[in-house]
Amino acid sequence: MKRSLPATLLLGLSGLFLLLLIGMPFWWVVTGSFKLPQEIIARVPTMVPHSFTLQHFAKLLSGSDYPVYMINSLLVAGISTAITLVLSVPAAYAFFRLAFPGREALYRIILLAYAFPSIVVLIPLFGMFARIGLIDTLAALVIINVTFALPFSIWMLRSFFASVPKEIEEAALMDGAPPTVILRRIMIPLIAPGIASVGIFAFISAWTEYVFASVLILSDAKRTVPVGFSGIIGQYQIDWGLLLSGASLAVLPVVILFALVGRWFVSGLTEGAVK
Amino acid sequence: MAELSIRGVRKSFGETEVIRNVDLSVGNGEFVVFVGPSGCGKSTLLRMIAGLENVTSGTISIDGADVTHADPSKRGIAMVFQTYALYPHMTVEENMGFGLEMAGIPADERKRMVRRAAETLHLETYLARKPKQLSGGQRQRVAIGRAIVRDPKIFLFDEPLSNLDAELRVRMRIEIAKLHADLGATMIYVTHDQVEAMTLASRIVVLRDGRIEQVGTPLELYNNPDNQFVAGFIGSPKMNFVPARVTGRTEDGAVKLAVDSLGLAEFAVMPRERNATMPETLSIGIRPEHFLPPGTDGAMDVSLGLGAVEHLGGVSYIYTEPGRDGSLTAEVRGLPGLKAGGLLPLAVNPDTCLLFSTEGARL
Amino acid sequence: MQKSRSLAFAFVAPALLVLAAILGWPLVSAVLLSLQDVRTIGSQGQWVGFTNYSTVISNPMFWTSVGMSIVWVVANAALQTVLALMAALTLNQNFPGVKIARTWIILTWIVPTVVVVIIWRWLFSTSGGMINPLMMQTGIVSRPVGFFSTPWTAMATLIFINSWRWFPFIALMMLAGLTRIPADLYEAARIDGANGWKRFTRITWPLLAPTLGVLTVVGTLLSFNVFDIIWLLTAGGPAGGTRTLPVMIYETAFKGYKLSEAATISVLATMLLMAFALVATRWLAKEGDSR
Repeated sequence: MKRSLPATLLLGLSGLFLLLLIGMPFWWVVTGSFKLPQEIIARVPTMVPHSFTLQHFAKLLSGSDYPVYMINSLLVAGISTAITLVLSVPAAYAFFRLAFPGREALYRIILLAYAFPSIVVLIPLFGMFARIGLIDTLAALVIINVTFALPFSIWMLRSFFASVPKEIEEAALMDGAPPTVILRRIMIPLIAPGIASVGIFAFISAWTEYVFASVLILSDAKRTVPVGFSGIIGQYQIDWGLLLSGASLAVLPVVILFALVGRWFVSGLTEGAVK
Repeated sequence: MAELSIRGVRKSFGETEVIRNVDLSVGNGEFVVFVGPSGCGKSTLLRMIAGLENVTSGTISIDGADVTHADPSKRGIAMVFQTYALYPHMTVEENMGFGLEMAGIPADERKRMVRRAAETLHLETYLARKPKQLSGGQRQRVAIGRAIVRDPKIFLFDEPLSNLDAELRVRMRIEIAKLHADLGATMIYVTHDQVEAMTLASRIVVLRDGRIEQVGTPLELYNNPDNQFVAGFIGSPKMNFVPARVTGRTEDGAVKLAVDSLGLAEFAVMPRERNATMPETLSIGIRPEHFLPPGTDGAMDVSLGLGAVEHLGGVSYIYTEPGRDGSLTAEVRGLPGLKAGGLLPLAVNPDTCLLFSTEGARL
Repeated sequence: MQKSRSLAFAFVAPALLVLAAILGWPLVSAVLLSLQDVRTIGSQGQWVGFTNYSTVISNPMFWTSVGMSIVWVVANAALQTVLALMAALTLNQNFPGVKIARTWIILTWIVPTVVVVIIWRWLFSTSGGMINPLMMQTGIVSRPVGFFSTPWTAMATLIFINSWRWFPFIALMMLAGLTRIPADLYEAARIDGANGWKRFTRITWPLLAPTLGVLTVVGTLLSFNVFDIIWLLTAGGPAGGTRTLPVMIYETAFKGYKLSEAATISVLATMLLMAFALVATRWLAKEGDSR
């Protein structure tokens, strides 16, 4: 299709606007983390850094507990992702394919749980976890992250299962494969992009979770990046260099993950949306 | 090789009945084709035989064993799907061997069996490929190969050729016919393409609204349909149905008719039952290919208005009032210069005509 | 059949158990807690019936928070929808780099909230931030604006930041709706002589409207629950100017040590949200029918 000149102009303008709106803040933060302190707080901000230093990163990694937070976060996010997948894949398959009483009602309740205000359960959960000794453990965070990632994961996986033609499953049935084998040998390989999407989703939600981590974790050595880092904000006299370098590092893992399988995640998101 | 017997089978989804009391026996080595308009239940019936759909009531047995509620894989059947349904992430060899693997056959024997089936279908060179790397015809062959390799008692085909282009469809049709001849296996085949039905079937089952309308050899259905529906469904272009008035009987039992729209009077057609009583008005069925040149012996002359003409090369189709109810279609040969407008003299032999009541029953 | 049923239960049971234990049971506990007078975690409470409810309902601060939550939700929904629609329409076009843009637009949504907070706190700050110098250079303002120092600017700034974080997510959902509109409709409209604007108002908009409706409801539910951005940037301040319901719940529980009262507020908030969800889905269903 040919585009008229005003349309091209409009498209260019809106594209540029989006690029600036989303790209500029990240550009400023990442470049800022390499600037010398005096350039960061200069009265006239610089688009392209004039100075280059690694002092903020050095201070962050050696002078603070940031590396510990990083390891905690990676642990929590990694384990949460694995457990979310183990739980959500069979559940989504059962909701999609297997007949059992109450299927539709249960599925609707799970969807409802997705829009559920998490702050409501924070208070009772704190009491529950205190009773069973889960306060101040990373396991508590894993449990929380898995719970909050499950509804969306099941919903998304179900629409991926639905994208596999029914005949393929029927052919496997005719070939004598029981449901567990159909799931393992046929369905899971076929919805690999969906599993990657859900994995990313679970990882990102665990990586970014703040509220529960801030309440359920008490000791500094068990903090995750969001909580530990927000502690750094208050702990020091506002040291923008330190904060910007910390922000850049906190973005890094999800950006790497996203660069590898982000395309699948976005297609998974949109795949689910049209169902 | 096996016999299949379906007794009083019904299926309903809630209130709606999709299969209503079907009885059918398929003999050893038969090639039975289910045809009917879309929604007639032909695919559902096939899937019930396969075990992919539940049976609401009635029984299905294979070689005398009741399999009504048996698992699909325990019925000794194999099915070829319209969309091929190959496993996209497996090679051709893995696709064909998956069923054998599930049956617990050891790897080396599996390999041998897959190879043998692949040779039958000339697929040896494609065994390492994934379905995506194959053409439509090759995929179809793999799907058939996956069925063959399991050496089933009954083959089921669900519109297997409808995703192929016209030329390939003809080729695969002939291959399937040859396969049936070679294997001598019992085959059940669903299609909406009546050419496939006519050419492949040893018997055709015509279904409508979940009921069997008629079962018979292709020529039986063509020459001697039980009702107006079967008569209209088998044959292309569709049979013409023209209203007529009964004016009397001849001595040998033929019905004398006045066909006003064709200007025919004293047109004597033999009914199916010589002594059957006739209603006052009925429909007369004339196949387009049964119109003859004017003046043919034993035929009566008619004139058809040339509403539209289609030249197909060897034959031409003429339509009297294209697009309207009651328009007649005639197939004529050797008139390449024919144009729309005016009248065309033709003739109809009453011996090739069929009679139907206004309710559609054969008279 | 019996076999497949028990298998289905084996498949769903683990996930359901986790959800029941970590969401379902706490929800029940929250209701029970709201009927007692527990102050701190671990302490025993007495059953006090609906006392907490009357306390909360007669507290003007609660109603101020309800109002703030409504402002928060409505303004976010409006801003997100506008930005997302623009982004979705842009990304639905074909231009070099569009595939990369479709993936990376969601960057704002995948980074931790704390990063979002630092980015914008810095950019909006009066010393060293980028926004103030830019606004002064272009002459919009003559001296630095303290974005977080008055209730209304703080609220507006928070709404902008939250919408910035969420609009790409909504945009991708809309894009999915847009790509579902068959291209031949646009081609037919072109042949009928419809210009770009007409094609938007007569084809895109009516066909996208159902998707927009669903997304607005989902977006509303999700933004109602937003807590961390507000807490980390303003902690509900200044002068309670950004104290939405989730913030008030958190404050009441963990700063004011009134657990039961916090539970009461959260039960009321949930009821409010569920009522909205119910009305909204009814309305959507009705709209869907009339189409």
